This record gives sequence, structure tokens and C-alpha cells, in this order.
Amino acid sequence: MMRKKTCIAMLLAGGQGSRLGILTKNVAKPAVPYGGKYRIIDFPLSNCTNSGIDTVGVLTQYQPLELNAYIGSGAPWDLDLSNGGVFVLPPYQKGKVGEWYRGTANAIYQNMAFIEQYNPDYVLILSGDHIYKMDYNAMLNFHIRHGADATIAVRPVPWEEASRFGIMNTDAEDNIIEFEEKPKNPKSNKASMGVYIFTWEKLRKYLTDDEADKKSSNDFGKNIIPTMLADKQVMCAYNFEGYWKDVGTIESLWEANMDLLETPMPVDLHDKKWRIYARNPGLAPHYIAKGAVVEDSLVTEGCEVFGNVKHSVIFAGVTIEEGAMVQDSVIMPGSVIKRGAVVRRAIVSENAVVGAGSFVGEETGNIAVVGQNMNVPAGAKVAAGVQVDENTEF
Amino acid sequence: MKNVMGVIYTGENDARLRELTMTRAIAALPVLGRYRVIDFLVSSMVNGGVKNVGVIMQKNYHSLMDHLGSGKEWDLHGKNDGMYVLPPFLTRENVGVYSGMLDALRSNTNYLTRSKQEYLVLSGSNIIYNAKIADLVRYHQESGADITMMYTKDPGMQRDEYGCYISVDETGNVTDVEVDPTHPSYENTSMDVLVMKRELLRQLVDKGVAHGHHDMNRDVLIRLVAEGKARVNTYEYKGPCWRMDSVQSYFKFNMDVLDAAKRRELFHPNLPVFTKVRDEMPARYTESANVVNSLVADGCVIEGKVENSVLFRGVHIAPGAHVKNCIIMQDGYVQADAYIENCILDKQATIKRNARLIGPAVYPIVIAKNVVI
Repeated sequence: MMRKKTCIAMLLAGGQGSRLGILTKNVAKPAVPYGGKYRIIDFPLSNCTNSGIDTVGVLTQYQPLELNAYIGSGAPWDLDLSNGGVFVLPPYQKGKVGEWYRGTANAIYQNMAFIEQYNPDYVLILSGDHIYKMDYNAMLNFHIRHGADATIAVRPVPWEEASRFGIMNTDAEDNIIEFEEKPKNPKSNKASMGVYIFTWEKLRKYLTDDEADKKSSNDFGKNIIPTMLADKQVMCAYNFEGYWKDVGTIESLWEANMDLLETPMPVDLHDKKWRIYARNPGLAPHYIAKGAVVEDSLVTEGCEVFGNVKHSVIFAGVTIEEGAMVQDSVIMPGSVIKRGAVVRRAIVSENAVVGAGSFVGEETGNIAVVGQNMNVPAGAKVAAGVQVDENTEF
Repeated sequence: MKNVMGVIYTGENDARLRELTMTRAIAALPVLGRYRVIDFLVSSMVNGGVKNVGVIMQKNYHSLMDHLGSGKEWDLHGKNDGMYVLPPFLTRENVGVYSGMLDALRSNTNYLTRSKQEYLVLSGSNIIYNAKIADLVRYHQESGADITMMYTKDPGMQRDEYGCYISVDETGNVTDVEVDPTHPSYENTSMDVLVMKRELLRQLVDKGVAHGHHDMNRDVLIRLVAEGKARVNTYEYKGPCWRMDSVQSYFKFNMDVLDAAKRRELFHPNLPVFTKVRDEMPARYTESANVVNSLVADGCVIEGKVENSVLFRGVHIAPGAHVKNCIIMQDGYVQADAYIENCILDKQATIKRNARLIGPAVYPIVIAKNVVI
């Protein structure tokens, strides 16, 4: 029998993230590299640790291999514990049937036994899609203080964009009175962040009821929250003001990386009181050669830079050869930019090779992407917005 | 390699390292931007499959213990074996101060007795190498020798009178051992790495201490070879190695590794060097940054000029500052428009705005921990 926990977290990491194109061909979205040495999932996991939440179930489904290996024992996030820790929860067979996770709510429903082991009072639901630093414990205190059945984290979005989000209409006491998914005429600009705290007893009941409803699509946003609202449960909005970035598309992932080059950084990764932890590749410090130029950039362990790097984010173990030029780009772990190549407004995924004298991306236009393990031949040209995979012909 | 244990002795003389070893053992000396000397030794053993590593501490061992922790970074935190930190202690027959490696091993007889492995690799801690320890042990087992010494012909290791030099016959056996000669007679330099059966070491330590001996090289190896009482064979290490016994040699090591060929030899992909992780963000270069021929660790913020230098984690070089031929340890701060050349800044040292500090290339200036100039 596990010891009782006040609050445990369930992290929904099963989505494909198809809007990230070839970047999520072989890896689940939460395992996509970000910010020079992180992966997206490092943010919610580090937030948990820093918030004192030490039990996290990670629900995986799509391409879990790299994500599972990355999470491992949970040691990088101090989540390798005897009582609690991080657990990868793939779909599994029950009795005669086995089934995939059909929706976000169904994924939690299928893991009720995991949650019950800890007999928690509250359950925090997270996703692995966003870059943000947030104190979940402050949100939990808010939830308890308001005697809420559910608390939904919201952040203000520009009014003109509000019709693209799930919008919470609240009263003066932050009680949610209405939830509108992508409203044409928004009444509020408080957008849901996909971060929920539920009182477990209530959630258990609503998950069970929802599962019995054959017409339901078993989704938190579409089913659970509207039903709880209709039943007049106490639903509160928790206002979050800090940096929050959805990295669900190639453009937004690129932008989120570029945000780190701003001074001051909109999301402070130097903050010693709120470190973002990551699995460390254990490489030597990076080397900047004679004749190299590195400006306005992030560079990390194991890199060797002989060429020019401007306004870019360079991940671990990348080599930038002499005469190569990397600008406004993101170069993921282990890639090599060969002699004289020019990379602009591009994302080069892991272990790719950009051949000598080739051109990837353009000064303007959409972001070009080179997929994992791909090889751009010497002298080739990859236009803005093009994604290079094994079917690309040069 | 399940049958091999490792012991690292960290009590070497460190007087010539001046301020650098005032608060730490040589083994805990920060090197190359993110490591400590001992990382190379422990990683070599672990990469060779060794699962039981004892680290014998002598003085100033706080930073070493802090760094090694539970041994997790080296995967030495299992239930069976793992990392054993062995600080000195007082008993009736043991005063806690070791006069040499033999005393230290004698104090830790219990650890040697309790360990289960048949073979033992014994290493000093002031020579940096990244060796294939598995090959060394296999060589020892196949040669049938009682003891195998790892040595190098690297001329860089033969700079002065400190060290242990050996002559080797055509079968690889040691025929003579010289300790700290003014002019070494042989080009073969011992790397203070020995392989033997655990039981043999126990006997040698027991006998040696019973005869009032302290030093492994001077008292044990010289005698064994001279009297022909044991077959001492050799294994030549062909990789790069450096002795860390003076400020100059410490400085040279860091500068040598700026050379790509040397760096690739030392950081071979199959022999990764593990260390304690600090979870710093990648280094940030601003628009005014100008860095050439330097090693830069995570967490640095570079706004000024850096040439031929090694910057550790969390170093900040302000705009207009110029750093040349320097080693700046963790969280060092060089403020705007300062100029420093041939300096070693220990942890958290600060060079104030507009300061100028130029050391001679042959005798770098050492700025001690937490000092503000």
C-alpha cells in the first residue's frame, strides 16, 4: 500500500502533435527538443518538482520509445523516489480487451487504479505541449481556499485572438459561469491553459459517468468540464500571468526558441529558485574556434563552432564547420552543418547533416525543416517552408 | 569486469598548486569548464565495467565528498557495490593522518577485506587520463604477472623531479624503479595505476606497514623489483595524460585541451566522462560577444571578448571586458571594461569594472575563491 498523497499529477503525453510535421514523425511531441538542452516535457516535470508534487503519471501512446527512454527513472527531475516518483503509463490490456486512449478523459479513466493507489485528495491534469514556469502548489492552495471542485488555469490572450481558444467566462470571484470553445464573439479573454486541478472524488464520479455515456468523446474540454458546469459544481478560474507558449506548430516552436534570445529572457531559465531540469548528455563544454563568430545565440555542451552563428539556438553535440553560416535557426542535438552551408530561418532536427555549400531556408518566409537523421546533399537548396524527409528529392 | 574493484587514493602532495588546493584535494580540482580531476579517474573505471570504486580521502575532503555524492552520476549507486567514500578516521591504532598510500590502505583494510572482487585497480589522483581500464585488466590477467603498472612515454609527463620512472625489459617486466629523481634515467613514466589481485595488495599493505613503510612506490615497488620477489609487468597507455601537481601544469592542461586533436583523444565517444550535473541553461552570447579558441560551459553569459580561455559554468563576462589566456571557474564575474590575461580565477571570484590584471605567461596569477579585485 502506497502512502497517501495530497495531490498527484497526471501528464497527458500521448498526442502525436501532427502540426509539428516531420518533427514528430519519430517522437511524441513532449519529447521534442527545445531551448538548447531541454525537451518540452522538462517544463511540466520541473514545475511539478519545484511545486512539491512528487508523484507524476505520464500517459503515453504515440511513438513512446524516445520519451520513455528520456524519462527513465526520473532522476534528472528528482522523481526517482520510493514513495512516489514518475511513472510512464501506456495503454494496456484489461481482461479480454485492450484499447487505446480514446480521449484525454478516457486516458485518465483507464488509469484510475494508478491514481487510487495514492488515495489523493486532488489530481492535477497537465499536458506536454507548452513552455511555461508555474507554481502548481499556489494553484492548489487557491483551489482549496475556494473550496472548488475543479480549478482551471487561465491566462489573458489578446481580445482579437480570443476566438481561437477555449474561453472561460467568470464572475468577480473567479467562478467560471460559462465555458465557450472558440467563441465567435468572446465575452472574456481568459483562455484555458489545459492545466486543471480536480478534487479527486468529484473527478472520479464524472469520469465514471462520462465513460458510461456512449456518445461522449471522452474529452476534458468537450465533455467533463461542460458537464460539471451544467451540474453547478464549484468551478474556478486561476489567473496565470507569466510566459506561456504553445509549441504545437513549427512556427510557434521556432518562435519559442527565438524568445530565449530576447534580453531579458521572457522565461528566465537562469532562475536558481526555479530550475528547469533536463537529462544531461554528459558532454564536454562547447568549443568556439579561432575565426568563429557567435552572437546573440545559445550554445550548449559538446558543440564545436568554427563558422558563424547569429541569433540561433544550438543544441548539444552540434558541429558548425568553417565558413558555414547559421542565422535565426534552431539546430537540434548531434547535427552537423558542413563547410560553407547557409542555414536561415530553419529548424534542423536531431542528427541531421546539412551538406557543404547547401542552402536551407531563406531570409524571409516560412520556417524550413530538416527531419531527424536526414542528409541535405552538398550544394542542395531547401526553400522556405519546405520539410526535408526521406522522400525529398534534390 | 565484474571481478574488478577500483581504489583511488587522493592524498598526494599539493603544495605547488598554491591557493588552488587550499580548500580542496587535487582530486577535487575543477578542470576544463565542468569537471573535477576525479571525474576522469572514476569514469575510466566505470567505462571499464568496474562497479565497486573506493575513494580514499585525506585532507580537505569536503568538496570531494560533496561532488561525488551517492555516486549516482557514475551509476555507482546500486545495491551491490557502488561508490565508497573513505574519509580518514581515528581508532586505537590509527591516528587519521596518513603518511602515504600504505597507511591509507591499512586504515581501510576492512573495506578491502569485505569487497568481493578478485582483482583491484589502484590509482593515484594527480594524473589525468582516460584509459580503457578493461584492456589494462585483461592484459594483466593474460600476462600472469603479479602486478601490472600502467605507464606512458609521453614526454610532457617528464618535466621535473617529481614522479616515478621505470625501466622495462623486452618482455614488459619492470627492471628498475626511480622515485622523484632530479634527472630521470628512463623515459617511461609510471601513471600511478596498478593492477593486482586484491589479496596481494592486502598482504603488501600488511607487510609494508608492519615494517614501518608508508609509500607505495618508494617502499613497496622499488623493493619488490630490486629483490625480484614479484613479477611486476607493464602496460603502456598511449592516450593523452597530464600530471596535476603545480599551478603551471594545471594551467597547461586546460590550455592543451583547447587543441582539437587533444580534446578528441581525451573525450573519446566510447569513454564518456561523467560529472555532477548543475542544470544550467545553455551559454548565452549577446550581440557584443566575441569569443575565439575557448571552451565555454553552460550557464555562462558572454557579452565581452574571450580569447584562448576556459570558462566554467555560470561565468559572466560583461560588455567591454576582455579575457585572454585565462581559466575562470564557476560563477566568476569579469565586470565591464576589465582586462585580464594569464589568470586563474577560482570559484565566485570577481574582477571589478576597469580593473587590469596581467600575469606572466609562465607563472599565471591565481585569484582565490570568493576574492573581489
